[in-house]
Amino acid sequence: MPKVDIEKKILSENDLVAIENRRQFADAGLLVFNIISSPGSGKTTLLEATLDRLADKVKILVIEGDVSTERDMDRVRAHGADGIQINTGGGCHLSAKMIRDVLDGLGLDTADLVFIENVGNLICPSTYDLGEDIRMVLLSTAEGDDKPMKYPSIFHEAELAIITKIDLLPYLEFDVEKVGTEISVLNSECEVLKLSALKGEGMDAWIEWIMKRLEMKRAARPAAGE
Amino acid sequence: MHELSICQSMLGIVEKTMAEHPNATLRRIFLDIGKGSTVESTLLSEAFEVIVSGGQYEGVELVINDIPIAGRCRTCERDFTYEEFALGCPSCGSTDIEIHSGLELDIKHLEIDED
Ligand SMILES: Nc1nc2c(ncn2[C@@H]2O[C@H](COP(=O)(O)OP(=O)(O)O)[C@@H](O)[C@H]2O)c(=O)[nH]1
Ligand SMILES: [Mg+2]
Ligand SMILES: [Zn+2]
Repeated sequence: MPKVDIEKKILSENDLVAIENRRQFADAGLLVFNIISSPGSGKTTLLEATLDRLADKVKILVIEGDVSTERDMDRVRAHGADGIQINTGGGCHLSAKMIRDVLDGLGLDTADLVFIENVGNLICPSTYDLGEDIRMVLLSTAEGDDKPMKYPSIFHEAELAIITKIDLLPYLEFDVEKVGTEISVLNSECEVLKLSALKGEGMDAWIEWIMKRLEMKRAARPAAGE
Repeated sequence: MHELSICQSMLGIVEKTMAEHPNATLRRIFLDIGKGSTVESTLLSEAFEVIVSGGQYEGVELVINDIPIAGRCRTCERDFTYEEFALGCPSCGSTDIEIHSGLELDIKHLEIDED
């Protein structure tokens, strides 16, 4: 029977749009995060706490992905972010095209940082490149310390893992060291930070991490007339 | 789950490819799906049946080649394969390992009837 070769990634179309997005972000000199976790791990709370510490120093845009409602966008707006809410209407992840469709009119040129809060889900979003610089995963202490091996794909893909809600550690059986080891087995390059967005512990290191990466990104930027 | 949208993306590629063979009939689609990818082969097959039923590709066979997770231990320098992600090298237990396959989500080729 005649054979027609294809040899493509199934998501090659998404990947192409992600490349365009990445170029557009780079042209605007932006550092872009794609934040992935289960629902309730503390993505929006981390954004609120981050905005409180950075909004007067750098211009931050937030793209909120949720199945429905504007609630998370309202929350981060109250902490000084501009941005836009995307409702996927049932879809379990953001795609590069959904991001592309909201970029016009976001004011990329005047911003420094973009945080994309993906739909709460530890599986599907890890497969879709959005054009971000940094894919990061949040794991809250309340979810249990067995998650990296249960959801290997996202930990394999992430550049940064943040263990959130560490203020709850005294009340839980959560082995931080074991989680660190499992993550490094899946991805030896993945950096791990621990923090409580609510109580503030560990937030300074996270803010430093962001600023360091922002400087690296700016230094790498082709001279744009200044 | 996202098997439905993965399946739609896959069929998008199939349709574009079949447009280059306007007189052919599609028989089989061959995929490589890594066991460490986020896609479950059985769910993908089910999604496929649902999407193609009643349409132009009804009756087309989806052939999924499950790719095991394979890697190499940096400590004892042995190659290994896993059915599932596991903690460390199966030979020496070292956690200093690298994974090089098992995350595939690829469309490989089609089989068609040319008439
Ligand atoms: N104790 C504690 N609770 C937190 C922390 N961060 C978030 N939460 C709580 O976890 C719940 C879900 O947080 P949210 O940011 O909406 O999670 P998201 O779904 O990932 O955006 C809320 O009730 C938060 O107050 C933290 O650092 N410590
Ligand atoms: Mg949220
Ligand atoms: Zn070994």
